[in-house]
Amino acid sequence: MSAGAGWARAQRRAFLLGLAPALIVLAAVTVGPAAYLVATSLTPLTPVRPGSGLDFSHPLGNYIQALFQSSFPHSVLLQAELSLLTVGMQTLAGVGLALLLDVESRWMEVLRTGFLVPMVLPPIVVAIIWKVLTTPDVSPAYSLLAWFGLRPGSLVTNPVTALPLIAFADTWEWFPFTMLMVLAALQMQPREQLEAARIDGANSRQMFWHVRLPFIRPALTVAVLFRLIDSIKAFPLIYVLTDGGPGRATEVTNYYAFVQTFNFAYWGYGSAIATMMVAGVFVLSLAIGRLGFGRDEDA
Amino acid sequence: MPRRGSRAGRRHGAEWAATALLLVVLAPALWLLQMSFRTEASINGGVFVATLANYTSLAGSGFPASFANSVVASTTATALALLLGVPAAYALSRGGMRRRGTIAMWVLVTRMAPPIAFTVPFFLAFSWLGLIDTVSGLVVVYLTFDLAMVIWTMRSFFAAIPHSLEEAAWIDGAGVWGAFLRVVLPLSVPGLAATGILCFIMSWNDFFFALILTRTNAMTAPVAIVNFMQYAGWEWGKIAAAGVLVLLPVLAFTLLTRRYLVRGLTAGGVKE
Repeated sequence: MSAGAGWARAQRRAFLLGLAPALIVLAAVTVGPAAYLVATSLTPLTPVRPGSGLDFSHPLGNYIQALFQSSFPHSVLLQAELSLLTVGMQTLAGVGLALLLDVESRWMEVLRTGFLVPMVLPPIVVAIIWKVLTTPDVSPAYSLLAWFGLRPGSLVTNPVTALPLIAFADTWEWFPFTMLMVLAALQMQPREQLEAARIDGANSRQMFWHVRLPFIRPALTVAVLFRLIDSIKAFPLIYVLTDGGPGRATEVTNYYAFVQTFNFAYWGYGSAIATMMVAGVFVLSLAIGRLGFGRDEDA
Repeated sequence: MPRRGSRAGRRHGAEWAATALLLVVLAPALWLLQMSFRTEASINGGVFVATLANYTSLAGSGFPASFANSVVASTTATALALLLGVPAAYALSRGGMRRRGTIAMWVLVTRMAPPIAFTVPFFLAFSWLGLIDTVSGLVVVYLTFDLAMVIWTMRSFFAAIPHSLEEAAWIDGAGVWGAFLRVVLPLSVPGLAATGILCFIMSWNDFFFALILTRTNAMTAPVAIVNFMQYAGWEWGKIAAAGVLVLLPVLAFTLLTRRYLVRGLTAGGVKE
């Protein structure tokens, strides 16, 4: 046997040795819980009834109840409304700002960092900031309006405005992500393409629609998909601002699952909702993978 | 007025517009900051009376203990994730493994999965193992996303390092991991720092898991803030001060390491 083959085998063994611990731990904290979640979703598990976790007599009971006899479909509609609103606003704000900030200067560098702040703030702090802004007693916005003689009611307790308000706060928190991705793509565009379009006499609008947008479209698509998936998980804003209310006006799917599981202790039922959410997220992730992003250059 | 078509003029116009916009965007956060220095009586505006009372009153509450829990849980989870994830990321970036596409997908789904999906299994398992309301329990949960993060981002950092360097070390008789420690790792310090900080921020920012899996002993700072809201009769000054303390570490890290963070935050999004 040649020394080369021996070295290649030793090398492969060394790589596997480096990989194994991480994969074992990752499997223990992800695959294990996932299997447990699916199993639980097939039972009527609730802590107040001993043995309910092993009752597989109606395995699809939770799913049938969720789809046909509950407010789960309603929560999905609310979720879709919230996600479309917030992702739409984030995309507009993110692209607009990226175009504005795509100028080479020292000061712009500083500004770009400044715009990242909402995204890195702890989500609970973002929720507090918006709690302050939307509570008439302490909100500077309400004091300002009162100064003009206007006394609008609270937006948070109005079923019509509560969801758009959550979407607006979520947009404030997350537009920097889209901005960052689009900015990175804009800066990779070859200068010659821009020069050529300018020499051809393109105006700013033509420039955007025919030169810049086609170039940033792949990055923008991925940013939208990432944000779409993450918008499903919005929690602290709803928890602190509306607690799912008024009524059920902001009880989106994630919050519905939380309430059913941890307020009402329907663990089996909540697991079924969570399983369906994971399935939905998986399909969206697959779309990201299919687009060819997030893979190694050489994979 | 900038002249139309002049490039310098346009640049200045964009700088002014962006500066004004940034002030508007950050105003809500700045409002919370000034609120934390106001007396409870002047909290809703009016004459600004500066005080540190909100911060000193926090010192006498359970908040410092919660803050310490946050520090310990986030730091430990980050360290463990780096320790386990860095060798794995290197192996994935170098070894010609057949299943790496599957592994990459698995890591991506872990990053994407809604936390609610993990809470029921973890809650049940932790009740059984006695890990409810312990910092160790939180570390285990934070590993789910930190480990995925480390593998995901460090893989792309390692992929950018030329193979010829460690091959030279192999020829000199170093083993795979010897060459890794002596040649590759020193070159990846910026990537390691950025990844570590991202993991710390993700763990530090967690609210959902800590809300469900802790009670009093292991309560983290974000959950402690919410408790001020519910039981302390809306002490806005205290809430604002606690909020500022929780956001400070994250803000400091971000401003100090912006360049590297941007790469991690957009990891998997922009093709390089």
